[in-house]
Amino acid sequence: MTTMSPDAGLTKQRETLLRLYRETARGRALEDVVNQLAQTRTFRGFFHPGRGQEGLQAAVCTALNVDDYLLYAHRGLTYLTAKGMDPVSILGDFHGRLAGSTRGLGAGTVHCVDPARGIMGQGGTLGSCFPLSAGLALASKTKGEGKVAAAFFGEGASARGTFLESGVTAKAWGLPVVWICENNGWAVSARVQDVQGTADIAPRAAALGFHTQVVDGQDVLAVHEAAIEAIRQARGGVPAFIEAKTERIEGHFTGDMQPYRDRDEVAAAKTRDPLLLAGQRLVELGEDTAVLDDIREQARAEMNAADEAARTSPLPDGTRIHEGVWA
Amino acid sequence: MSDKPITYAWAINHALDEEMQRDPDVFLMGQDVGRMGGVFGLTRGLHDKFGGERVRDVSIVEHLVVGGAVGAALGGLRPVAEVQFADFLLLAGDESFHKMAKWRYMHGGILTLPMVVRAPCGIQGGVGAEHSQSPEGHYWHTPGIKIAVPSTPADAKGLLKSAIRDDNPVIYFENRRLYRVKGEVSADPELLVPFGQGKVRRVGRDVTIVAWSAMVDAALEAAEILEREEISVEIVDPRTLVPFDMETVSTSVRKTSRLLVLHEASLTMGPGAEIAARAADELFEHLDAPVKRLAGTDNPIPQNMALEQFCYPQTDQIVSTVRDLAKW
Ligand SMILES: Cc1ncc(C[n+]2csc(CCOP(=O)(O)OP(=O)(O)O)c2C)c(N)n1
Repeated sequence: MTTMSPDAGLTKQRETLLRLYRETARGRALEDVVNQLAQTRTFRGFFHPGRGQEGLQAAVCTALNVDDYLLYAHRGLTYLTAKGMDPVSILGDFHGRLAGSTRGLGAGTVHCVDPARGIMGQGGTLGSCFPLSAGLALASKTKGEGKVAAAFFGEGASARGTFLESGVTAKAWGLPVVWICENNGWAVSARVQDVQGTADIAPRAAALGFHTQVVDGQDVLAVHEAAIEAIRQARGGVPAFIEAKTERIEGHFTGDMQPYRDRDEVAAAKTRDPLLLAGQRLVELGEDTAVLDDIREQARAEMNAADEAARTSPLPDGTRIHEGVWA
Repeated sequence: MSDKPITYAWAINHALDEEMQRDPDVFLMGQDVGRMGGVFGLTRGLHDKFGGERVRDVSIVEHLVVGGAVGAALGGLRPVAEVQFADFLLLAGDESFHKMAKWRYMHGGILTLPMVVRAPCGIQGGVGAEHSQSPEGHYWHTPGIKIAVPSTPADAKGLLKSAIRDDNPVIYFENRRLYRVKGEVSADPELLVPFGQGKVRRVGRDVTIVAWSAMVDAALEAAEILEREEISVEIVDPRTLVPFDMETVSTSVRKTSRLLVLHEASLTMGPGAEIAARAADELFEHLDAPVKRLAGTDNPIPQNMALEQFCYPQTDQIVSTVRDLAKW
């Protein structure tokens, strides 16, 4: 085996970074479309913008295999596009049209599904991802499929009792779960220190016997590397936990002006924009800014085209509500 | 394959054994289901036979038992989860009312959840308000879950086997007062009891009683007594509440013109209200008397065993209620 020359190492880093930049940009472009739909009230319902957290979502989901399971969270959409889901079916859910993955049930963010890509859905009740991911991981382990079950959640949801019950059992059974805590410090208007008495979640997972890593969630390369390691641990039967310290740049939902938050804090968060930081790093590595501009432009064009396709798809009729209750 | 009398508890054990034998995706999880063989002894021998990976003991983790079963089912297994008492299902409220019942539908109807939760229910043994309930009505009110309520050893086996093979989530309510009741049970591993097909337990002319689970035996006892007074009772056991076999109820009521709905769960907003409402709605012109309900009393169940008998319908109450109905 030959070791990589420093140059080759840098080239590889640049390639990985470019890929993560592209996925982050795609997620952001998709969310820009959805924010627009929410603002114009084309889509009614809650949308929780992922701005500031797209980078870490892209970094983890690109480290997963296509058939690894994913239970995503409500904070944005980059999980889905980075795992390979078609933006038309995501947007079809926002529009409540048949092109949506739920065939017109009008899922908003929360219930997009794509089992062929391991995307097994999301619950409307926070913290339900813990037992479900344990169960998926148990199925994978029992069947010897080698898949991991990745679950995303905020630091707020990590306080649910389901975390403890599922964590204890995942450890006992050596389940291949990868739990990713997106710690943005806020659960709606509740600051983590005020309601949990600490700003750090990883020690709880460590206490349960999980392999744990704490990582700067704005540094896509660092998160990607942590994800690769976590997935490796999980495939080997050690439940893994990543706490990504991140920033919620926007309000809890589109239209939340965050009056409960300090302006300076929000301004500081904006300087830690993962797309911005990844772009700067790429330029330092010699990437042409025109290439980056082009990636963002392509992402915008892709998502606008997807929106067009989704919004022109047919609406379901009233009989749709009765379909799919039973297998 | 001769049919020999075995207990309701053992019939459940046989169903689990046969289905695990037949399908490697079937596995059990719950508290003490493994080495101990279950607190009521229902899973005895299965850990030795199938090993710890297929008969999984868990800690005190009801959210995980039900939610983990949902996940495992989504991942292609066929979990049979056990909560030690049906009451504990309510601890896993989110996992049962939401995840188990709605996950498939919420996600467009393209995922399947072939899972069973076994829930021992019923008033017996002085175990009090949080270990004695029959919450089938809570779940009947929740679209997306099938519900089995077996009353005999043969049905206990046949319905559990159907539940395990069903691609929908099922809650299987087994009544603890029936565990030791013996009955003929087929040894044929392919003899299944289908969901949604009620059974006429006793044929009669004058009054129809709809009863399930442990209330069927009470109804049969009452019918014997009433027979001596020349009141002829027909007993319909729906066997599953979801799907509910209204047709068999309807056929019976068209004949008798009188209906008593009998259950152990407490009266108010109980499952009997639904059946009575449907009867009023669909069978009005066939009824000669108001539809009656006899059910558990509207109080938490006390710990004192001596008071338990006052909490659910007793034979003499059934007799007098039917007597009154027959006068119409
Ligand atoms: C069990 C449950 N409780 C409350 C809510 C309402 N809710 C939705 S998002 C949210 C805040 C979640 O905070 P966190 O988990 O930190 O994630 P973030 O929104 O910061 O990404 C709340 C309280 C819910 N959906 N489910």
